Amino acid sequence: MTQWFVLYCREWLELVRSYKLIWVPIVFILLGASQPITTYFLPEILASAGNLPEGTTFEFPVPTAVEVLAQTLGQFGTLGVLVVALSSMGAISGERVSGTASMILVKPVSYGAFVTSKWAAMLTLSTISFAMGYGAAWYYTMALFEAVGWREVGGSLLLFALWLGFVGTLTILFSSLLRSAAAAAFSALAVSVLLSLSASMLPNAFAWSPGNLSKLAASFVMNHTAEGLWLVVLVTFCAMAAALTASAAVLRKRPSLDAA
Amino acid sequence: MNHLLKVEGLAKSFAGSKAVDGIHFTIGEGRCMALLGPNGAGKTTTIRMITGLLEPTSGSISFRYQEPGMDRRKLIGYLPQIPAFYGWMSGKEFLVYAGRLCGMSARAAEASSKELLERVGIADAGKRRIGGYSGGMKQRLGLAQALIHKPKLLVLDEPVSALDPIGRREVMALLSELKRETTVLFSTHVLHDAEELCDDVLIMREGRIAIHGAIDEIRASNRQPVLLLETEGDERSQGWVEEWMRHQPAFVQTAEVTGSGLRLVVNDVGAARRMLLAQLAEADVRVTKLEFGHTSLEDLFIKAVAR
Amino acid sequence: MMDQLTNTQLWTILGPVLALQLLLMIIALVVCIRTEETRGPRWMWVLIILFGNLIGSILFFIFGRKLAS
Repeated sequence: MTQWFVLYCREWLELVRSYKLIWVPIVFILLGASQPITTYFLPEILASAGNLPEGTTFEFPVPTAVEVLAQTLGQFGTLGVLVVALSSMGAISGERVSGTASMILVKPVSYGAFVTSKWAAMLTLSTISFAMGYGAAWYYTMALFEAVGWREVGGSLLLFALWLGFVGTLTILFSSLLRSAAAAAFSALAVSVLLSLSASMLPNAFAWSPGNLSKLAASFVMNHTAEGLWLVVLVTFCAMAAALTASAAVLRKRPSLDAA
Repeated sequence: MNHLLKVEGLAKSFAGSKAVDGIHFTIGEGRCMALLGPNGAGKTTTIRMITGLLEPTSGSISFRYQEPGMDRRKLIGYLPQIPAFYGWMSGKEFLVYAGRLCGMSARAAEASSKELLERVGIADAGKRRIGGYSGGMKQRLGLAQALIHKPKLLVLDEPVSALDPIGRREVMALLSELKRETTVLFSTHVLHDAEELCDDVLIMREGRIAIHGAIDEIRASNRQPVLLLETEGDERSQGWVEEWMRHQPAFVQTAEVTGSGLRLVVNDVGAARRMLLAQLAEADVRVTKLEFGHTSLEDLFIKAVAR
Repeated sequence: MMDQLTNTQLWTILGPVLALQLLLMIIALVVCIRTEETRGPRWMWVLIILFGNLIGSILFFIFGRKLAS
């Protein structure tokens, strides 16, 4: 346990020293804030675009506050997921290829602890960043539209944070399977897109799939409940545990890739 | 002699080709052993299997102090060929981190790091980011992190081959100090480095052991008299050399023509000297140099490796 | 809708967002100039950060640096 904590502290230090702990939250805050703001100003922006006949009037249905938050989750579902995957894509492959893994793993370090410390750091970063970004979205929605209760926000926050954590876990798994960091990010993104697509196209067959998480989060903020939530959460946790186990096993088999 | 490490039937194949082909050896406690061989002989593969970075295809590696179920890595300190660090950490931070990973308390790791930085001669740079270190400094830091938990066996993969001559000198001096305290296994393709530091050598060739033993014994048992003859290279002398090669006396083991002369490995140096001097005088060969010496370890190394 | 907003109100809405974006750009620039080694020429990254807006800074943070050594 002490050793795990030492590993985790190193990850934390890297988050600080590599400025990840600054730039990722800022990006998420900007993403979160921009959705309510652009929605609010959209009629003005369109009107000032100018290439519309004189006298045209707009009849925009003003979205409700919860709809704005659900749209914000949609934003996080693309750009946010991309940032999470890209910021943790080299977690394991980077260390194996550069040779730092062979410096660390010749010490009596548990392979599982090595992987889970990186996973925990990824989870810390993505959750903190997303919470701040979603908080900013909430704040602007309240200021520009109307109030939304903390229960809806909190529940959808947890569900969506789990989705981000799941994508990050996939990235770590691929990062231990593949040599190239970019390939790891690409694979993780591809799998998450496939999961989301399959879940929305065949909702019955994939009712258990983690691909439902973002949809569940959106429906939670709008309706205050989400159907089939617990099964999906359970499957997601199991999938993450399996991914971490596989990742540790791959690392044990071949701790380094720096010398062929 | 008490062995510290015992390697039995160790083998590793990559995609069908055998990088290491069933080798057996032991390392005596407190000894310094060089793993010698040309590039591609299987040195690095062997070392990586000992450190646990590579799973052997077959064979076993056991330590004397290893209780059943114990992690072998606790007993090993390892410096790879090109040590890699986190550039954003300081040298001191990395050492403390390495120490704590080996189970040391924060205070012990701190004290030990300070002492080791001092010892490898980079105390001034301890607080600086490793990203700004030179190759020699990284090598020293690599040595320090390998020593942090006072390992029973220090394993070094080509510790000096990437360094410039001055860096090489300094690291060699450091190693000769260290080998008094712990058992050392280091690989090199330079015979001279092995001769300078080591008690034992293990010469590898194409994944197998060519020669293994104490360096002094190998040197003594393989010492053979050598005769070196050089002439002015004129026609008559050349003719005599060619003629001589055709009728070699019995004491000659190997003979080769070297430019304008001869190089002979013989078993009876007295007979060889008498006979050769008489023949040279009789044929009036224009000798420029005649030398009586012994085969060096290098001859043996070349013979073992280039068979 | 905008008619209901005064200029000051507009700035209290947009100000923090713009400030944060500027902050991110400044951090990226400082890191870019101070880091030991960038992947590709340093001036190229400075241009990307200055003219690439939010995306430029993100690209620099993800791809611009070498962390292990």
